[in-house]
Parts: sequence; structure tokens; C-alpha cells
Amino acid sequence: MGLEFLARVRRSSLWLGAVTALAVATYATPNAGLAVAAGAAWSLVNLILLERLIVALTGMDRRTLPATVRAITAIGGMMALFVAGWLLLTRLPAALLMAGFVIPHAVIVLKALALLVLPTRAWQRLTRTPWPALVVAVVLAAGWWAVTTGWSQSQGSGSGATAGSDPHAPAATAQDSHGTAPAPAAGDAHGAADAHGAPAEEAGPEKFANVITVLSRAFPHATWAHFLHHYEPVVYSLLIAFIICLVAMAATRNPKLIPGPLQNGAEMVVEALYNFIVDILGPRFGPRYVPFLGTLFVYILAMNLFGLIPFMDSPTSNLNVTVALALIVFVYAQYIGFRELGVLGWVDHMAGSPRSAIGWGLVPLMLPIHLMGELAKPISLACRLFGNIFGEDMLLVAFASLGITVLSFANLPIGVPLHLPFLFLALLTSTLQALVFTVLSTIYFLLMLPHADHGHEGEAQHAH
Amino acid sequence: MDFHAALGWGLPVGIGLAAIGSGIGLGGIGSGAMQAIGRQPEATAKIQLAMIIIAALAEALTIYAFVTMFLLKGQIAG
Repeated sequence: MGLEFLARVRRSSLWLGAVTALAVATYATPNAGLAVAAGAAWSLVNLILLERLIVALTGMDRRTLPATVRAITAIGGMMALFVAGWLLLTRLPAALLMAGFVIPHAVIVLKALALLVLPTRAWQRLTRTPWPALVVAVVLAAGWWAVTTGWSQSQGSGSGATAGSDPHAPAATAQDSHGTAPAPAAGDAHGAADAHGAPAEEAGPEKFANVITVLSRAFPHATWAHFLHHYEPVVYSLLIAFIICLVAMAATRNPKLIPGPLQNGAEMVVEALYNFIVDILGPRFGPRYVPFLGTLFVYILAMNLFGLIPFMDSPTSNLNVTVALALIVFVYAQYIGFRELGVLGWVDHMAGSPRSAIGWGLVPLMLPIHLMGELAKPISLACRLFGNIFGEDMLLVAFASLGITVLSFANLPIGVPLHLPFLFLALLTSTLQALVFTVLSTIYFLLMLPHADHGHEGEAQHAH
Repeated sequence: MDFHAALGWGLPVGIGLAAIGSGIGLGGIGSGAMQAIGRQPEATAKIQLAMIIIAALAEALTIYAFVTMFLLKGQIAG
């Protein structure tokens, strides 16, 4: 406890306030997010000034001149802060400002509670092995989910007009109308017993039926089915991440000198990825980035191939997932640039490393080009992966429905599997796109690393 | 020609043009890489890596056209 505790509180509440403000700005209005951010910032500054005042009044050097100056500045700052708070209260919604104001205090209370709970015997017994903790976490999550859904249901039935609390309502009505009046062409498709034969009817583009669309069709009024349908790519990508974690844990549980098949396979994959990435990045920087890039490859490959399993869907055929992946790569590449080159080095890199009069003259041209190139990288990464996987899915759906229409005169519950050759094409594209995403991310990292022999430097030396 | 008709004509033709451009580019990349491998078979791995990267960059142009097509497809139905 003490000043170090307060510093940790500041850090945590900074993060929490930023994330909460972003979430509020996303799901409510930007103004509401601004209000939460302003409230949290006000509260944080207030806490900092209070801390300074108390330190100045009670510290070792409390009678000296600097301490007095510090105390007076802290008091003056608080005066200014109160005026600012009054201005904020007149401009922004007071309830949201209050919510933001509470965030640092909530962090303090939670951290103090954690300090009390963590050393207790019961907590240590709970966390000694992962399974009891997992069970408790699952029970807590299920309870929270039941409470919140029950709450939103009672709200929805109570007023009937609270569309804001139930974002799935319009989707549900759209689906009901689809379910009751299916298009005549899709009537045959629904009868098809072939797992790949039934393109799902929904608001978005037509896809193969997967577990979640089937469930949301079977339970059109259940809240959990709407939840699953709404967050379908998230659910699938979490499931895939969970499966990868399980496989990795099983493969590395008790490593042997003479490995079994699972350990052997995992070692082969890791070694191949390691060699591949270190070949590109070089032995100095390579090993540091192998875990991230290798995970990226395995994860994207699993997500791409997941759509080929009957009743499953590729999360990467949704633009949101690929944009998220590309943004991670983008932020990490900039972070690498800042860490390895320094802030000035990063600016120098963005300006095209001017070393001569011509180089300095070209800076106004090179800086925008480089900045736009940086911003174009994540867009091209995301669109490439999404377009390939989505296009491949669409191709399969198109040929599968063609196969159904070919036999539709016979009223049979089967179709000609015309999409069979394209499944092999899909295998190829899935692997290739995972590889391309990983390789391009590696190249983007390489361009940010201070290498003597990478492309930019070579060009610069040639030009001079 | 109204907006919908223009989109109805323009989207398929545009995606075809983009595919032609990418196809020419991919052909050039492939032929260059094959010649390079033929001259220096020991550098196959490096050449293939560079080939895949450049092929992905060339192919991305068609994918952009494809994504644009899907973004604008909803406008045709009105």
C-alpha cells in the first residue's frame, strides 16, 4: 500500500476508462463516450492533485519552500478543476459524467478487495489447479448471462418499445418472415439431406447452414440463439482458439525424448514455422517474433479450414474478424517500429531516411506516401483474406445449389455434388491465404526493423 | 441509363477487367519465377517465397474489385 498502489490504480483506471469510453462511444453515441472519458479523466486528475497535496502537506519536507509551492499549485489546480467540472456538467449528460467519475474509485475498491482476497486460504486452494477455477468461472459466467438475459427479457415484455435494449429484435422479425415464406427455389434446398446442400436463408449473403444458423432457426424466439447468431464469427473464432489451446496443451503436457505422434507433429509445425520466419527476419530479431507470427499462421489456417467441416463456418469469411487480425498486425508493427527505432527513428523511417539534400527535399513527398502506405497495409491484409475466403465460400454455395437445381425435377432429397472439385481448391486457397497473411505480416515487421540490408536501405544507398 | 442499370452492367464488367489485369500480372510473375528457378534450382525456396508474396499482391487487386462488387451489389436491388 502507498504511493505505488496509487500509481497502479492510475494505470488501471486509465486503461479501464479508455476502454469503457470506447465501448460506450461504439454502442451508444460518441457524445456519451466523450462524457464517460471526460468524467474518468476529471476523476483521475482530481486523484492525482489530491495525492500531490497530501504528499506536500505530510511529506518529509513539509516545511520547506518547494513543498509549499507544490501544495499551493495543487490547490490552484483543484480550483481550476472544479471550474472545468462545472463547465463539463453544463455541456455533457450528468449521469454519464458521474459513471466516468466513479471508474477510478471502483478500481481502487476492486484493487483493495483483491489485496484482501488474494492471500486467503480459500483462494489459494481454488487456484492451485486450473479445473476448480475453470468451473467457478463457468458458473459465474452462466449466472451472469442468465441474470442479464432475464433482465432484458422482462424489460422487453414490460414496455415493448425498448428497441435499444434488444438489438436482435429487427433481425428476429426479418428471419421470421423468411422462415414462414421461403423462396420457391430454396424449398428444394431445405429438403436436401446433404450437409452441404442447404444454403441458409438469412438477411446477409447466403451461406451453408451451420450449427448456429440451424439453432437460431430451430429456436427463433430464444434469446441465447439470437445471441449466438448475432455473434456467430466471434463464437466460432473463440471455439477455434479453444481447440488450438487444447491441442497445444495436450501436445506439450509431458514431453518425451522419443515423442509420440501428437508431440512429433506439433514439434514439426513449430520447427518449420521457426525456420521460415527466422529465415526472413534474420537470427537477431527473428526468434522474438516467432510466437506471434506462428500463432497467427496456425490460427488463420484453422479458421480458414474450419468452414470446410460440415455444419461449421469460417470466421474469416466475415470482414470483422479479418479487420481485427489486420489491426493487431498493424499496431504491433508500429509498436516494433517505436521500440526498435525510437520515436525519432520512426519519424526518420517514415520520412524515407533523408541523408542528403535530395533526400531532405523529397521529405514532403515521401512522408505522405509512407504514411498512406502504412495505413493501406492493414486494409489490404484484411480485404485479401476476407475476399478469398468469402469468395471461396460463395463459390461452393453457388455450385452446391446448382447441383441441387439439376436434380430438382426428380424431387429427390439429394443433389449432385458439383462443388466437390472446388473443395480441393478451397483447401489450397485456405492454406495459401494463411501463408500469405503470415508472410506479409513478417515482411511488414521486417520493414520496421533496423536492418542494414533490407529493401529501404538498399534503395536509399542505390539512389545516392 | 439510370443508376441501377449502370451498376448492373458495370459491376460484372469491372470485376472481369480486374481479373484480366491480375491474370496478366500473375502470368508474368509465374513465368519470371519459373525461369529464375530453371536457371538457379538451388534458390528455389527463396524464389518461391518472393513469388507467392508478389502473386498475393497482384491477386489482391481482383479481390478489391470483388469486395467492392459485394459492397455495391445491395444497391442494385434498390
